[in-house]
Amino acid sequence: MAFTRKLIGHGIGLRTKHFARYLAEPPPVDWVEAVSENFMAPGGRPVAVLEKVRRDVPVVLHGVSLSIGSTDPLSESYLGELAELAGRVEPAWISDHLCWGSHGGRYAHDLWPLPYTEEALRHVVARVQRVQEVLGRQILLENISSYVAFRASEMEEWEFLAEVARRADCGILLDVNNVYVSARNHGFDPHAYLAAIPADRVGQIHLAGHSDRGRYLLDTHDHEVPAPVWDLYRETVLRLGPVSTLIEWDDHIPPLESLVEESRQAAAIEAEVLAPRLRRAMP
Amino acid sequence: MTLAETQASFHALATRADFLPAAAEDFLLGSPELPAEERIGIYADMYLWRLADALREDYPKLAGLLGDERFLPLAEAYAREHPSDRPDLGQFGRHLPTFLRRFPAPERADLGDLAALEWARAEVFFEEPATPIARDALVALGPDAFLAARLDLVPALRILVLDNDAAAVWRRLEEGDPGAAPVAGATAVAVWRAGFEVLHAPVGLDEARALEIARAGEPLPNVCAAFQHREDPVRAAFAAVASWLDEGWIAAISRG
Repeated sequence: MAFTRKLIGHGIGLRTKHFARYLAEPPPVDWVEAVSENFMAPGGRPVAVLEKVRRDVPVVLHGVSLSIGSTDPLSESYLGELAELAGRVEPAWISDHLCWGSHGGRYAHDLWPLPYTEEALRHVVARVQRVQEVLGRQILLENISSYVAFRASEMEEWEFLAEVARRADCGILLDVNNVYVSARNHGFDPHAYLAAIPADRVGQIHLAGHSDRGRYLLDTHDHEVPAPVWDLYRETVLRLGPVSTLIEWDDHIPPLESLVEESRQAAAIEAEVLAPRLRRAMP
Repeated sequence: MTLAETQASFHALATRADFLPAAAEDFLLGSPELPAEERIGIYADMYLWRLADALREDYPKLAGLLGDERFLPLAEAYAREHPSDRPDLGQFGRHLPTFLRRFPAPERADLGDLAALEWARAEVFFEEPATPIARDALVALGPDAFLAARLDLVPALRILVLDNDAAAVWRRLEEGDPGAAPVAGATAVAVWRAGFEVLHAPVGLDEARALEIARAGEPLPNVCAAFQHREDPVRAAFAAVASWLDEGWIAAISRG
């Protein structure tokens, strides 16, 4: 069992605000990430934009409704739609979140945390295997930001994430901002988290901003990547080597140029961090 | 507590359900500065805000008319009655027109119709594209084939028959009248997409009936019969079908 990291550079999220630009010209970045559910409709402008963009740059699909940790049955119709979308888009990879968001057939449209128990681990692993079977490919699961932990947890979040990836033979989408937000909210050491992530399973990195609500950080994705998250990104790249990295905004989305600038900043940091390593490798 | 029991308890707290299987402190960890109950409250607030945002996106005119003060309680009441049952958040609001008709606002009864118009606009935005046929196709049909021919309407077309003139209220809101007054009286509205643009326009009640007959797959003479009360039914039917062709509402004419 193995996971192969694909290197496609530095990208940004495909957001409605920039659709007109994408119809007029290729995205000025290496690749884009599309939220899967936003493009499952049979027609309309979003589908046309995605069709155009995928001809210009690589696209990856990032879902929010798989609800991989839910004790509800996996939605076969959702999986069918996702498989159909993947057939049309031919994404470099498909990802979703290590969380749950539905119960009793009702969807919260949120990313709720799991208790980190052996029972939850077995449950998630079996479902990831089923999803990968339907899609005919490995998926990546992203660590979420969280605000609450469970008394029943038997292991740390990073141990749970690593074990899911190992047992289910899937990849990890490492959201560095989420590590930072959760570390602040739960009082754990983000460096310990990053150090424990299996390097050979990480296929993508997310970078984003958040809001400081005083007693906690809220994962709003509506700010620029803050300095502490950039610092953690440096540390991550140093440990993992080059990883395809995305700048993620979900609200108060700025002009395209701002996103591109942040993406270039990520590329510059990666080049800067890895340059000494490359020099050492020269004969 | 099993994983399923844990999720049932979490879900009840995060959706502020009436029945709570467990208190937050029973299974969640808090801290002195942020107790477990407040932590789960963060999820409960986000749950409502996310659903309200989804409604606001699909019903911008209704949200503008009501303002946050009245729209948020409406969103909360609607979410309790119709919690999201699809992975696609865009489907959450589909019952709102019916909900507003069942529980009309005390001060005005037309909000369900306005919502129906907005939902139709949201639906056609994402409908399957189709290439409409030109007016020539009807002329080429010939009188014999005409009697058995059926019209295939494009998917991105909705016909609404409403108790109030929601299109007039929509227009006033669009023009910047934030308190657009209700306009009573039965009306019909066609909602369709041209390219990426969603459009709507009033149609006669008989024309709406004709379109519904066409949508049901009945032959052209039955469609035309909807205009029988007009002074010149043949001319009215021809003008209507020609306008449907011109607007791009017909994808094909099948010969029987």
